[in-house]
Amino acid sequence: MVAAACAAIAIAIGIVISYLIHWFPVQASTQAKNTDRLYHVLVIASIPIFVLVVSVILYSVWQFRMRPGEELKDGPPIHGNTRLEVFWTAIPTVLLLGLVGYSFVVLKENEQGRPAKEVQIQATGEQFAWSYTYPPSVTGGAPLKSDQLYVPLDQSVYFNIRAKDVIHAFWIPAFRLQEDAVPGITTHWRVTPTRLGTYPVVCNLLCGLGHSLMRSKVHVVTQQQFHSWVAGQMSASAGGAASSTGSSG
Amino acid sequence: MEAASIAHAGGHAHDEHHGPPEAHRSSRVEPQLLGMLLFIISEIMVFGGFFTAYFFIRVAQGDPWPAPGTNLPVEVAGMNTAILVSSSFTIHWAEQCIKKNNRFGFKAGMLLTFLLGCSFLFIQINEYANIGFAPQDGAQQTVFFSLTGLHGAHVFIGLLLLLFVTIRAFRGHYSPEEHRGVEVPGIYWHFVDVMWLVVYFTVYIL
Amino acid sequence: MRHRDEDSGVQTLMAARLKQPGFLRGGLGILIGIAFSALLTWVVRSSTGHSTFHHYLSSEAILTVSLIAAPLAFLVGLGGFDYWFYWAAGKKTRPEDHSSHGAYTWKDYFRINTDHKVIGIQYTVNSFFFLLVGGLIAMLMRAQLAQPGSHFVDANTFNGLFSVHASLLIFLFIIPVFAGLGNFVIPLMIGAPDMAFPRLNALSFWLLPIAGLMMLGSFFAPGGAFADGWTAYAPLSDTAPVGQTFFSMAVQFAGASSIMTALNFLVTIITMRAPGMSFFRMPLLVWANFATSLLVVIATPFIAASQFFILLDRGLHFNFFNAAKGGDVLMYQHVFWFYSHPAVYIMMLPGFGIISEVIAVKARKPIFGYRMMAFSLLAIVGLGFTVWAHHMFTSGMAAWIRIPMAITTAIIAVPTGIKIFSWLATLWRGVLHLDTPMLFALGFLTTFTLGGISGVMLAMIPFDIHVSATYFIVAHIHYVLFGGSLMTIFAGVYYWFPKMTGRMFDERLGKWHFWTTFVFFNLTFAPMHILGLEGMPRRVSTYASQFAGLNLFISLASFGLGISTLVFLYNMVTSWRGGPKSVSNPWRALTLEWQVSSPPPVFNFDRLPTVVGGPYEYGVPGAVHGIFAPTPAAAGSGVLREPSR
Ligand code: HEA
Ligand code: HEA
Ligand code: CUA
Ligand SMILES: [Cu+2]
Repeated sequence: MVAAACAAIAIAIGIVISYLIHWFPVQASTQAKNTDRLYHVLVIASIPIFVLVVSVILYSVWQFRMRPGEELKDGPPIHGNTRLEVFWTAIPTVLLLGLVGYSFVVLKENEQGRPAKEVQIQATGEQFAWSYTYPPSVTGGAPLKSDQLYVPLDQSVYFNIRAKDVIHAFWIPAFRLQEDAVPGITTHWRVTPTRLGTYPVVCNLLCGLGHSLMRSKVHVVTQQQFHSWVAGQMSASAGGAASSTGSSG
Repeated sequence: MEAASIAHAGGHAHDEHHGPPEAHRSSRVEPQLLGMLLFIISEIMVFGGFFTAYFFIRVAQGDPWPAPGTNLPVEVAGMNTAILVSSSFTIHWAEQCIKKNNRFGFKAGMLLTFLLGCSFLFIQINEYANIGFAPQDGAQQTVFFSLTGLHGAHVFIGLLLLLFVTIRAFRGHYSPEEHRGVEVPGIYWHFVDVMWLVVYFTVYIL
Repeated sequence: MRHRDEDSGVQTLMAARLKQPGFLRGGLGILIGIAFSALLTWVVRSSTGHSTFHHYLSSEAILTVSLIAAPLAFLVGLGGFDYWFYWAAGKKTRPEDHSSHGAYTWKDYFRINTDHKVIGIQYTVNSFFFLLVGGLIAMLMRAQLAQPGSHFVDANTFNGLFSVHASLLIFLFIIPVFAGLGNFVIPLMIGAPDMAFPRLNALSFWLLPIAGLMMLGSFFAPGGAFADGWTAYAPLSDTAPVGQTFFSMAVQFAGASSIMTALNFLVTIITMRAPGMSFFRMPLLVWANFATSLLVVIATPFIAASQFFILLDRGLHFNFFNAAKGGDVLMYQHVFWFYSHPAVYIMMLPGFGIISEVIAVKARKPIFGYRMMAFSLLAIVGLGFTVWAHHMFTSGMAAWIRIPMAITTAIIAVPTGIKIFSWLATLWRGVLHLDTPMLFALGFLTTFTLGGISGVMLAMIPFDIHVSATYFIVAHIHYVLFGGSLMTIFAGVYYWFPKMTGRMFDERLGKWHFWTTFVFFNLTFAPMHILGLEGMPRRVSTYASQFAGLNLFISLASFGLGISTLVFLYNMVTSWRGGPKSVSNPWRALTLEWQVSSPPPVFNFDRLPTVVGGPYEYGVPGAVHGIFAPTPAAAGSGVLREPSR
């Protein structure tokens, strides 16, 4: 009884601690919010299991350890208990199916279909830098190629991710989203940024010597600022390097 | 009971040596046979890996096969198939012969099988030389050469085994009672044969 | 054949030794192998004249071919194939005189030896050598990661370090050390005099040092060691410097060794069990190795295939992974993980077996739910083949594949949970002997549960999308591989140390080893979860300054972990050389390996045992597992015959 109470207290403490620990980078998208919620559910489901296992071990060590004089003693020959075995097969099955089902719900939320208004951006990885292409639907003219990533606040952004040489991975921790950039195919993810600011873009797949330094930044700006930034870039490139955008095709 | 109490039988102290007790046989399957069957499972999985490549490059990508401008010599390979299949029958015949103590038939069967296998390999090498494309040309060509080449490598290994058996056959080994050394390589040869049918069907015909 | 008598100059002695199987002839083999490779590449290149190969002689091509030819020729020289050559040529094969059984001096461990007990020790010692090397490499990595910036090694060296670290620890430590313990213990446990194919067994051992030295040798290759991680994703590995070839080739040798051992285990377990040893009377360690061997036989060919692809792409410019010519980059990952996920269970199931032995004996109770323990192993084998794409949730593969794979990945925790709960129930109301093997078993239960739970979290796709390829994964890896596999290995080595060496280890040092390992292990790897969640990628030689504090902490703790391993090393070496002699059955265990002397006689059993009951009948009054049949003369007098099955 005492042991059970101790275990319950340990579970409670564990859950409280799990809330106090600063787990994640800032939360800067709706997807990040969903994912963090999923994580907390997972932690809350896991703590009791772990505490249960550890409690049984500690309790056994405390209660059933060999005492002096018991060197030749054996335990009772218990070979099994069908009801118990069914119980600890069924309960985890239900729990796991529940968790994985919930994760599909979150996945669906995060990847839900295309909204009416969406900004498309192509991110291209090559050893060892990211570059971004803003298509005509965004620029209203020729496609714009840039090594800077600007995205508008509170608007759905759809990334087409490509690679020129080897595999890279396009990861923005603040958005909790990543996908590999694979030579030969185009991959995607969709995000709705919810917080103004500048966050790291990380190449998260070993791509050679410069992998550790293949970093970039994403600037989340208001929709107005976004459009004026795009317009500014367009006139800058029209002034000089128009040919370079043309060649990116 | 002590390890050191058993004299280290250096060279020929045969009468002194105390061998292991005969192991208990807990299954009716012969160990050698079982080993070969398990090995064949592994071999099938090697082919499985190569067929995965085939699947991704031919099926999943959906490009026409064979690649435009290339031609697979279906008839020559078909003839080759016939050769390999018939070698399965000849080795079976050889096995039957040794079981009936027909030494001539056994030797002739082994030799015939070996020669049929050699001609298969020879024709295939010839096919490679005249096929008109190379694995360096593209992924589909790569898949063609690696699947048929992997199989060719197995034919080569199988031929080595057959060669050993043939040599031993001519040296007077094996008897109606003791012919496991023919049977086990024989199984491998049948496997090589069946695998070719799969490769031929998927690569040339489909 | 002819024998020259009194002409005993140094030369003839040399010549005689070159004809004898051994290291000298092996060395000669290496030279011949290299010469052969040079000749072969020259002939092939000059005869094809294909436009892809401009030079008739290329050091890289010769190196590549040598990596196959030289080791094989070395093995021929060492005598690994002698018997088969005689057989193949139809000559009279040497009658088995058992001269290659048993080890009488340390030198006997350095030749082809067909005794499963000698091979088991060869395997185990060889594997621990590579643990120390791999661990030392980890120390270098942690030295580099103690601070951000490139202060200790450059990026290329660092990539080489973690690649070799992981490859050595996986292919040369965890997988073979389990095969080694199994080699020593399984024939004894099932009452067999040896393995089914002793010569094959010897050969599979000798492939391992070759693979290991090849991986280490890559550090001396032009361009540095292979540096694409132990996963060696294409197309990066297609274009990497020649060190990558060392990886692909070494994996072939290690893989061949695994497959051969697995065949041997399966055939031994199926055909050589003692009378009365039905499948459901086998100790769970035997079950675990049975299940593992099934995984090896079915899965390992896939990594062989994946590395053949890489070798063909690299050496002959094939186009498996050349997207520009229609190659499929993701195919590599499917083929690789179809092996490498089952491989993580290859690295865990034998450990489950060890824990079952240790816990039953040390808790003095029968294993709780023996049959479910056996079935859950088989369930893991089956499910293990259906989850590989959980390593590819962010790879860009077709999105729908994620859904079934996530479900199977979550469900695989159920059979694993059955095992954990059954061990806990075995502890319950037992009489726990808390000595070193047991401490490691209990430590394993704790740390592996944590690692398993983080694995289940990774099955949840949106969460995995965030943490994939971060330090959260590194934490998971080490909680399951160190906190799981390595803990069980320590438990097993302590548990069978008296049987293998005939001596007892120092219990006090063993306890020190456990506690320092347990504490420093958690201090090293637990903070990595947080690093990963906060956004620190894996496989980087430098990182953002916000991660500096935790990384320094981890590095310091990891040095403590390194030192704790030295305690183990010291204990093992000194106890083996001068520990007190062990009795044959110091743990009062029932399984058969404890019923013979320590170390066991050369042929294991002078008389074959007959099995009359389950392996874990602790607490059942008067229960025995096996009895030794009386000498043949007295046979039939009151001895149980083999039960008909
Ligand atoms: C010994 C090795 C080992 C073992 C046993 C496992 C076991 C598991 N692993 Fe792990 N894994 C690795 C070694 C291992 N793994 C390695 C090396 C990698 C990285 C490879 C690389 O990229 O380099 C990896 C990566 C990895 C990934 C990919 C992450 C990524 O790259 O994005 C995933 C994703 O699903 C995963 C999941 C799991 C799961 C679900 C289990 C399950 O089998 C765990 C089951 C066990 C338990 C759950 C604990 C006990 C159970 C209970 C107490 C019952 C109740 C529990 C619950 C209800 C939760 N692993
Ligand atoms: C069984 C497998 C195993 C084991 C035992 C270990 C053990 C250790 N590992 Fe390893 N590790 C892997 C398997 C393993 N690892 C794998 C599969 C990867 C993924 C690689 C990849 O990305 O491809 C990895 C990656 C990996 C990384 C991430 C690299 C990266 O992504 O950039 C790190 C970083 O800290 C690390 C650290 C350690 C440490 C500190 C230990 C310690 O436990 C080591 C303890 C030390 C010893 C056992 C050596 C004994 C000591 C000496 C001989 C002398 C030391 C002396 C002094 C300190 C004085 N490992
Ligand atoms: Cu690009 Cu890592
Ligand atoms: Cu996995």
